[in-house]
Amino acid sequence: MGDFILFDKTAQLGKGYIIAFANRSQMLYFILFLPKFLEMPYSLLGILAIGILSQINLFILSKCLSSKYTQQGYQGFADLLGRRTLRIIAFAGIAFIFIKMSLIILGYAEIVHQFIFPAMQLPWMILFIILLSTYIASQGMEKTLRFGIIAFLCTFWIILLYIPYFFPPGAELHDLYPLIPTDWSHNPWKGILMVWSSLSGPEYLLLLLPWLNSKQKMLRYLSIANAISILQYLLLFLGCLFFFGSTYLGKIGFPVVNMIRYLQSPVFERVEIIMISLLMFHYVFFISVLLLCLYGAIRISAGTQDKETTRKGFYAVCLLVLAGVFFIQSFYWREGKELNGWANVQLWSGAFTYLLIPSLLLAATKIKGRGSSL
Amino acid sequence: MRAFTSFMLLLSSMCLLTGCSPFASDNTVEEIAPVTFLSVEAGGEKGKLKVSTLVPPVMKEDKQFFSTNVTLLEQGRRSFNLKYYREIKLGQLRMLFIDEKVARNGIVSLIDTILTDPEVSPRLYLVVFKGDFEAFIKNRMQQQKDLDYYLYRMFKHYEKGKQGEITVTNIHEFMEKVYSPYSDPYIPVFRVDKDNFRYEGTGFFGNGKLKGGTDKNQDQFFQLLNNYHFLKNMIITPLDVSLGEVRSRVTTHVNLNDHTVSFNIHYRGRIDEYRGTKDLDRQVSIYELVDELEGYMEEGTVSLLKKLQELKVDPLEIGGQTMAPASKPMSEEDWIKFWESAKIKVDCHFELEPLSI
Repeated sequence: MGDFILFDKTAQLGKGYIIAFANRSQMLYFILFLPKFLEMPYSLLGILAIGILSQINLFILSKCLSSKYTQQGYQGFADLLGRRTLRIIAFAGIAFIFIKMSLIILGYAEIVHQFIFPAMQLPWMILFIILLSTYIASQGMEKTLRFGIIAFLCTFWIILLYIPYFFPPGAELHDLYPLIPTDWSHNPWKGILMVWSSLSGPEYLLLLLPWLNSKQKMLRYLSIANAISILQYLLLFLGCLFFFGSTYLGKIGFPVVNMIRYLQSPVFERVEIIMISLLMFHYVFFISVLLLCLYGAIRISAGTQDKETTRKGFYAVCLLVLAGVFFIQSFYWREGKELNGWANVQLWSGAFTYLLIPSLLLAATKIKGRGSSL
Repeated sequence: MRAFTSFMLLLSSMCLLTGCSPFASDNTVEEIAPVTFLSVEAGGEKGKLKVSTLVPPVMKEDKQFFSTNVTLLEQGRRSFNLKYYREIKLGQLRMLFIDEKVARNGIVSLIDTILTDPEVSPRLYLVVFKGDFEAFIKNRMQQQKDLDYYLYRMFKHYEKGKQGEITVTNIHEFMEKVYSPYSDPYIPVFRVDKDNFRYEGTGFFGNGKLKGGTDKNQDQFFQLLNNYHFLKNMIITPLDVSLGEVRSRVTTHVNLNDHTVSFNIHYRGRIDEYRGTKDLDRQVSIYELVDELEGYMEEGTVSLLKKLQELKVDPLEIGGQTMAPASKPMSEEDWIKFWESAKIKVDCHFELEPLSI
């Protein structure tokens, strides 16, 4: 058994990885029930508006990504913010990363529980997902990021399953009316916030910069990824509107998964089981990346970032995550059609990180740059 | 080490995916009875349901008819399990037969129960029956093997063919229409007795309750006005004519100011059989027949629409026409209020392909 090295780099990953990562990070758990919260057809405009805002945000983010500080990884961040501040930020980051990760794990476990194994106990599924992610993450950051392409290829085509819903007799034009909001009895702010929160994720690229090829047109790739995501959001939402109609949509737990149950295939009776199983690639990939980020954040906040990574330390972190997720599952997680407390926390924290991190970092770079040029 | 880990991973995922796991329910063929239909009738006492099914539907064993009086639908499954050596599974459930009396009291909660089971497909067919379903099944299951399966194939055939012989509705379509403000669901109605299982027409629902239905003749007009806009075979006895492959194109217009709903319907069909007195070789008599047909269609359509107004239901989704991209939609009550008192204008045009070889 050789050294246990998680954060080495031997190659620089190209544009495919950036697009795959950014797009997949925007297609996580929230989209499975996003249409339920958007409900009214005029939220289509909301998705478009948030998509444009997200594009502006990505513009800021790409500026950060190409600054000379962030390119150097830890050293650069330490120069930019100072070691002490960075430790505090990393410590706060632990919470954000953990919230995001635990929501993906619990959310996916809930879906599996609801659609595939109703008799299963939730902790088994949680254990299984974390074991898988630990294995992938223990291969090191580079291999994990390469796994992202597999995750992308396994799940990208799922959107094609929704094409049949766009044809009559199921789909009728008046399902999409009213397109312009006429009264505000239905309050769309939560759905809109969820679109934003769901689009968060590309900011994690900041932590992965050392593995990415820096001499690239970051903005272009991020824009492509964002455009694909928005298109997928629109397609999913339109499909849901056609299939359920806006009133019924508000009463469905996971509309995006539930719709698939209606599909017929001559070979498989239940297409949704295959879809849910394949989604696991996507989620496990993301959880592994977040596990590595979490491990890194813990090392930075403990001040041991210069020491070598150890197998023991990493497994301890994974065990800690497992314990944390079990804890949340038993105290804060409740299955149901309403958004539960923990999902609400992620709703806000995701929106928060996506909104503030790029702008604050850009501001820090600018201030530092001005300071050093003086 | 790595080989070992990957082997374990492979093994565990195989276990999870194939269902040979400690936490999934077991599905060994010899131990289960995947039933294909459930029938729900009103039980002896008030509020009770009588649930029946046929087991086992797949194995080569003598079939048995089970029925039990219950308060909850799921209780039926449990009581079957208690008296039968196989476990009843709903994974292959294809049809839900509902007694007319139960349907008149509302079936939304019943269907919600079925729909929450992840094993049950949302394509489950819904059927309303009048009469003694139990007697029919008991009588016929001796004569015909796999009776339940062929019933299912019948619905599947007509759903796929979209040929308008019988209305076919599944659970999802029903629920979507229940919740959508401008459309009301409909379900095929069958009359059963000891020997027959006969299609009678379409039953219309309002607020999840059966309000009324068409008869066999009226059903033809409904099929032509509805989704499929197609009838493979249309029988018009007053004119001694039978038409084949009738297709219709319906344009509906709702005028809120005039308080009218107008229908413009174009039919196109072929004369299959004619036993009347006209000489159809002459173009003039064809024109006469077309005129008569148009009159007949108008009359029939109007009487169907009047019936819908009487029942206060809108299965044709006419209300959807009042929606526009930028205007506030009417409420469901407003629409039904408008619809029941609206003036109806029907304009039919017939294009006839002559009887020829």
